[in-house]
Order: sequence, then C-alpha cells, then structure tokens
Amino acid sequence: MAGKIIADTLEHSTAGSLSTEYVVNGSAKAWFHFNMLAATIQDSLNASSITDSATGTFLMNLSSALSSSEYATLSASGDNATHNASADTNEPRSSSQYSHNHWENNASYDIANASNSALGDLA
Amino acid sequence: MTQTPEFKGTHLFDRLCWAKENLEGVQSDYRVVYEDDVDGCAKVLVPDPHFCAAFLQGGILPPVWVYWELADDEAKPDFKRHTRGYLLHETQPIEAGTMEQCIEYLIMKDLPRHIWQTWDSGNKPKMVICHKDQLPSTREWRNAWRISDELNLAA
Repeated sequence: MAGKIIADTLEHSTAGSLSTEYVVNGSAKAWFHFNMLAATIQDSLNASSITDSATGTFLMNLSSALSSSEYATLSASGDNATHNASADTNEPRSSSQYSHNHWENNASYDIANASNSALGDLA
Repeated sequence: MTQTPEFKGTHLFDRLCWAKENLEGVQSDYRVVYEDDVDGCAKVLVPDPHFCAAFLQGGILPPVWVYWELADDEAKPDFKRHTRGYLLHETQPIEAGTMEQCIEYLIMKDLPRHIWQTWDSGNKPKMVICHKDQLPSTREWRNAWRISDELNLAA
C-alpha cells in the first residue's frame, strides 16, 4: 500500500522515544458507535454487523478476528441515560464476537448512544 | 468509481481501514431475524454500513468459508490462539456483489451455523430476511418478539 512507514521506534525531539509496538499492540482493533433504540450502527471500525438480542443486549460481530477470545473490551453510554445506577458490561464470546449490555437500575435498558471498543492482538 | 488496490496478501484489518477511508458507508434496509432459543425472544442482525460498502466494492473481504475454518479451529477443546489467521489475509478476496449477496454472506458469517443450515426445518422457520420497516415500530415489547407463522414479527 502507498504511504507505508516501517519503523520500530518513534522519537520526539524532547519528550523521548516510543516503540511502535506500543502503537500496534495498544490501539483499538475494533469499535462501534450504535443506537440501541433504532438498532442502527452510526459508525464503526472492523465491524461486520451487530445483533440486537433483546432490550439493552447486543452482540458485536467483527470482520477481522482477534487472535483468541481473551481480549479486552471497553464500553460507554451517552449522556442520554435517564436513570441513576447505570452500567455497561461487555463479554467476549469468541475471537470475533463480544456482547454489549446496558443496565439501568439493575435492568437491561436501551439507549441511543452506545459505544465500545476491543483491544488485543489480531489473528 | 474508486479502484480497489490489489489486496491479496494484505492484512484484512488494513483493507478494512482502506475501505473506511475511501468508501462511503451503505446503510442496508435488510434485517435478518432469527430464533436460536425456544425460550428467548427473536434476535435481529443489523448489517454494518462499512462492511456493506466493502462487499459491494469487491476485492476486500475474504470468502466466507475462511470464517468457518477459523470457527472450527476455535471450537476445538485445545484451542488457545488462532494459528491460521493467514487465511483471512492471504486468501483471494471475493469480487463485488449485490446487497442481497452481502446479506447472504453475513448470515453465513455471523449467525449460528445451525440456524442458517436448518432455517426451514421444524414446525416453523427459524430465520427470516425482512426489511427494517417490517419490524415492530416500538421496542416496548422487545423481549416478546417472535417470528410469527406468517413470517412477520408479532409481539
């Protein structure tokens, strides 16, 4: 591909240097921004689809799988959450699928602005 | 029309990044409704716009059998990490297809295999392809959605 840079280290004039391993290993390999109420994907990277499983319960399906099912996921909900005690939980189901559940007052709940990401090694 | 670079041998993730940067996302009107739990509600597969754009463009995505191979590897009891990820990157990418073919591909990639392989066996269909506007307009009774006998969703 055009514009390819091959480097093991990035060096700043005053702030020091950084191995590109940190960039490769530390950046998100997939992310989703989606609307549970409309069940639509607003934007994403490395996604193939989402599965609307039930109220507040969705599955993220990846195009380029991670190397195993032991990877990290992060999730968040927008400020449209209407109740106190809200939480977002994720769980890897396989190397190419993880769940995103949104909870409010201990019950699954749909929200308009949901987002998540996955960090790990690609297959 | 944007020309797809020769991608065989390029990591699939890099191809997807190229697609996101160079192709406009395509929101599909199709939805795939399926039931994989007799006690649970119907599930709805929603295609990703960037994935659809990559499929329609051609030359980016691997053939769907690659995903089956990786899923088979992962189902083995001694599975730790993928050792055949190269199948994603080195297999000849598929050519451009239609939105209908994209939905078929997603069904075979993202739905449980036993659903799409036996979707029409048993007392009633386990899977339906429909348009978004055929789904209930409100999610008030979302956890009661089922595939009805008339292949329409009913709460």
